[in-house]
Amino acid sequence: MAFERVLTRNVGKPEALTYKGYRQLGGYEGLAKALKMEPDAVIDEVKRSGLRGRGGAGFSAGLKWSFIPKGKDKPKYLVCNADESEPGTFKDRLLMEYDPHQLIEGCAICCWAVAANTTYIYIRGEYTKSTAILERAIKEAYEAGVLGDSVMGSGFKLNMYVHRGAGAYICGEETGMLESLEGKRGQPRVKPPFPAVIGAFGAPTVINNVETLCNVPHIIERGADWFKSIGTDEKNTGPKLYAISGHVERPGTYEHPIGITFREMLEACGGMLKGRPLKAFIPGGASAPILKADQIDIKMDFDTVAKAGSMLGSAAVIVMDDTTCMVRSVARLAKFFNHESCGQCTPCREGTNWMELMLKRIEHGEGTERDGQVLLSICSHIGGNSLCALGDAAIGPVQSLVKGFQDEIDRHIKEKACPFPHRRYFEN
Amino acid sequence: MSFSQAARDEIEALRPRYPTTEALLLPVLHIAQREWGGWLPDEAIAAVAAELELPVAKVYGVVTFYDLYHQKPVGRHRIRVCTNLSCQLRGSDEIMEAIHKELSVGEDEVTPDGRCSYVHFECLGSCDTAPMMMVDDDYHENLTPNRVRQILKGLK
Amino acid sequence: MPKVTINGRTVEVEAGTNLVDAAIKVGVQIPHYCYHPRLSVVGQCRMCLVKIDGMPKLQAGCSTQVMKDGMVVHTDVPEVEEAQRGMMELFLINHPLDCPICDQAGECGLQDYSFKHGVAYSRFQYEDKRTYPGRERIPLGANVLLNMNRCIQCTRCIRFTEEIAGTGELGFFNRGARVEIGTFPGKELDNPLATCVVDICPVGALTSTRFRFAERVWYLDKKPSICTGCEVGCNVTMEHRRGDIKRYKPRFNPEVNDYWMCDYGRATFERYKLTPRLTAPRLRAAGTNGNGHGVTFTSWQSALDTVHRKIQEAEGQGEIAVLGSGFLTCEEAYLFAKLAEGSGAAHRPVPVDLGPEWTIPRHQRPPIKGREQAPNRRSAELVGFSGSAEDLLQGDAASRCAVLIVSDSDFGQAAYSAEAVAKLRQAKFLVVFGWADSPLAQAADVALPVAHHGEKDGTFVNVEYRLQRFERAFPPPGQTRPAVEALGDLLSRFEEGWSNLTPGKVFDRLAGEIPAFAGLHWHDLPATGAALNVPGAAHHLSDQAAEAVSEASS
Repeated sequence: MAFERVLTRNVGKPEALTYKGYRQLGGYEGLAKALKMEPDAVIDEVKRSGLRGRGGAGFSAGLKWSFIPKGKDKPKYLVCNADESEPGTFKDRLLMEYDPHQLIEGCAICCWAVAANTTYIYIRGEYTKSTAILERAIKEAYEAGVLGDSVMGSGFKLNMYVHRGAGAYICGEETGMLESLEGKRGQPRVKPPFPAVIGAFGAPTVINNVETLCNVPHIIERGADWFKSIGTDEKNTGPKLYAISGHVERPGTYEHPIGITFREMLEACGGMLKGRPLKAFIPGGASAPILKADQIDIKMDFDTVAKAGSMLGSAAVIVMDDTTCMVRSVARLAKFFNHESCGQCTPCREGTNWMELMLKRIEHGEGTERDGQVLLSICSHIGGNSLCALGDAAIGPVQSLVKGFQDEIDRHIKEKACPFPHRRYFEN
Repeated sequence: MSFSQAARDEIEALRPRYPTTEALLLPVLHIAQREWGGWLPDEAIAAVAAELELPVAKVYGVVTFYDLYHQKPVGRHRIRVCTNLSCQLRGSDEIMEAIHKELSVGEDEVTPDGRCSYVHFECLGSCDTAPMMMVDDDYHENLTPNRVRQILKGLK
Repeated sequence: MPKVTINGRTVEVEAGTNLVDAAIKVGVQIPHYCYHPRLSVVGQCRMCLVKIDGMPKLQAGCSTQVMKDGMVVHTDVPEVEEAQRGMMELFLINHPLDCPICDQAGECGLQDYSFKHGVAYSRFQYEDKRTYPGRERIPLGANVLLNMNRCIQCTRCIRFTEEIAGTGELGFFNRGARVEIGTFPGKELDNPLATCVVDICPVGALTSTRFRFAERVWYLDKKPSICTGCEVGCNVTMEHRRGDIKRYKPRFNPEVNDYWMCDYGRATFERYKLTPRLTAPRLRAAGTNGNGHGVTFTSWQSALDTVHRKIQEAEGQGEIAVLGSGFLTCEEAYLFAKLAEGSGAAHRPVPVDLGPEWTIPRHQRPPIKGREQAPNRRSAELVGFSGSAEDLLQGDAASRCAVLIVSDSDFGQAAYSAEAVAKLRQAKFLVVFGWADSPLAQAADVALPVAHHGEKDGTFVNVEYRLQRFERAFPPPGQTRPAVEALGDLLSRFEEGWSNLTPGKVFDRLAGEIPAFAGLHWHDLPATGAALNVPGAAHHLSDQAAEAVSEASS
């Protein structure tokens, strides 16, 4: 059965950028339907659909909404996480640039469900084009009465603002994002309390990823059962965007039913670059432990990837062929985590720094035989002990390097140099 | 120097969006950076602190936290080259080399004519078109060293 | 109240108590750097990780609150010990390990926890340590010096300036492994409480400019004392080496100064070094200037005999006056008051200088403020001193005195002012007690060397009428005696029952006599002091305010 694109159905249709065009393509029907439902019924429908957060953690979206305290005495907020910064991830940018109203609709439904009257779309500062497109779409949505004092004539009040970040990966962590939204350094908060209780400006707050929210209008319009019919099992449901990059013929964002195998994905994007053999792939962004070529038939859903010792994360798949030096690749990721660590908690601040220095040293051929064990030990001291999940993210690639590619580390040490000639991509 | 009237109007228009004044800090710093020619000298930071009535050390802490706020002068054109893994796998090192050769200045330095400055950067979310770079607000994708040279030559 | 079990010991704590505080109640120390009971909880040093049954990961003790019964916590299990070892290693990889030249050595959180929780070797052998060139010794302000290389980024200092001082001079700059603390370029850490950041800095990153290199801390002897800088009476630890006071550190008292004290107060012990000491009873021949010529040193016996005789002879010769001092202890003030009563002294004022207002923030109650630059005017007035000193210091009241007894040669700036001294000198016979060989002491006919507050036991009554006791830190030099003993000997010359006095005996006698002190006993004065029974006293107001605060917050 051919899979019908859901989230990206409007990609390639420039009319979707305007309110009118989006409406003609069937947009805002989900919101219209939701506004006729009880908010709790909306939450139940989303819960029943099995929609899990598409940002990385894979937490049930409906459940998250249900944690928001009821009642209208306190302000509540929705913060849409558009701080897409996980290396390898570029799917949310596509959704915002090609179908901004889909996101606005998803946000509006969420706000109706949890009785929030304000949405902040926290978008990474580098996404200037997405920001402009979103802002234009929001302006149109106000003019069309989809936002403002009475959403689609329902009397429900909703304001929506785009809030630009300023270049910090950690602001993708939900409490780091809240701090940043409040005008502070994006240092994650101690949890509990969770944002559902004390979030933005001290008020209950839902934080959802762009892709997660873009699923919502479809769930409401077509029903949880339809949504559940897509995917591997009832815990891994719905369509999923996979962002494929690295050594493949046609990198890009691909929409597949969740749970497609990696092999199928690879075929869909034209296979390996120049037909070279696959060496390894990262299934879910820079934080995900690296999988080796023998996992090519893995089902790319949350639970299967987790069982294989990695994570689906943001479903950003980075593919590496046999010419790739794994030490160099992981050293680059370690540099990233060191650069992006907020610096407040000790294990992450000191540990990511140490790991980057060690990996660079190994890559330069100055490693010692003990280094692998020391790296694992540093990882064990960071893992689970850091204040937020960045520490855990930073150790994923390093642990999988030492455990899965010890032979490459050994060759660096033995040959006192990187055994992989640095490939030249371009003729100058 | 202080905020222009246009910038002040812009700040005023933002105020109703947030329940606290502090929340205006990131947007106001973006505005200030534009006003002060692409970077935030101490004077600009002090002006923002005064505008929002925040301790200046706090504002300075925020400025130094985020990669997009600059504390030293930048070129008229600011070039950010993604060098994270997906771009590294597709040759971003050679893009950096090409830029370095073309501009003859080091990373984060400004060309003598004040035209350009460049830095390597973390993932910019355009991995499918790697290698890529951002010049001011525009993405340039599927780069080759030749393409980079052309782009740089076109910058005034 | 919920119960929590920590390392097998169960204790009941108030709901919301964090595990670091709860553990203290069962005698378990959970190591921590960033946590401070008066600062917001940030959970970032990760040193206080503990294992809680039923939780998959270790939890930060500072940010985990006991909310309901049944939490079972372990701090002595291998997972926790391994995490502590790991954290210590990470704290130290970039630390300069320059203990031999670091002022903090001996009272350093890194040393203590390394010894207790760390390992003796380093695996950080091939990489270069992170350094902050040019930021090894930068003055953040006049009193605080930063060595960024030693910083462990706990941010206590930053939170202090934001949350306690309310001035926010310090910030956290940069990101990741390059984070550092500092002030905005051109700004200084110059709030009146600035040096408190040195106290709360767990390592040698922030050191006190005043104390820097003054002494290795393990040579310091420490005694609980009271700051004499103003009427607040901040509780301090007096730290000295063989009688040479090196520094004051604030001593926790939630009723008075909480964990804090002001920079002005920290410097007040300098007076004992800047002013020459009186070290032996001194007589001045009539008509000489007291400055070398015509001066004889004598024994206490003969000096007190002289004073006794002069007081007895005064009848019919003129008035007798006793000039009090805000620096007297309650016991001394009481004895001077007895002397004044016995000798019929009409003038008994307590002159006190006014300075700028010092404010110490407190937890859940209004800040405490002091302007009088002496710690104990109030008790002197409670035990019988009264009136204005103006006519003695500025008028010619002294000229009518047959005997003028000055209780403290350092009672205020007037003791150093030529005009005021000249006025007092108009008395026919001038007796000066005191530790300082001030111009006033030099003008005295009899100068009697008595101990300063580091050299004696005693009590002070602060601005809120809280009675606080302090201890003798070291013995007085030379023939100097505690004033209580000297006054006892002097009073014994008039009547029975004053011999062999100790501050404790005097206090209990005073408490039996003066209503405000009723019911108090020297030997069971609470460590945080006792509120005197004085109607309308500020502490009653502050207690009401504190109640209002706690009601509002509950």
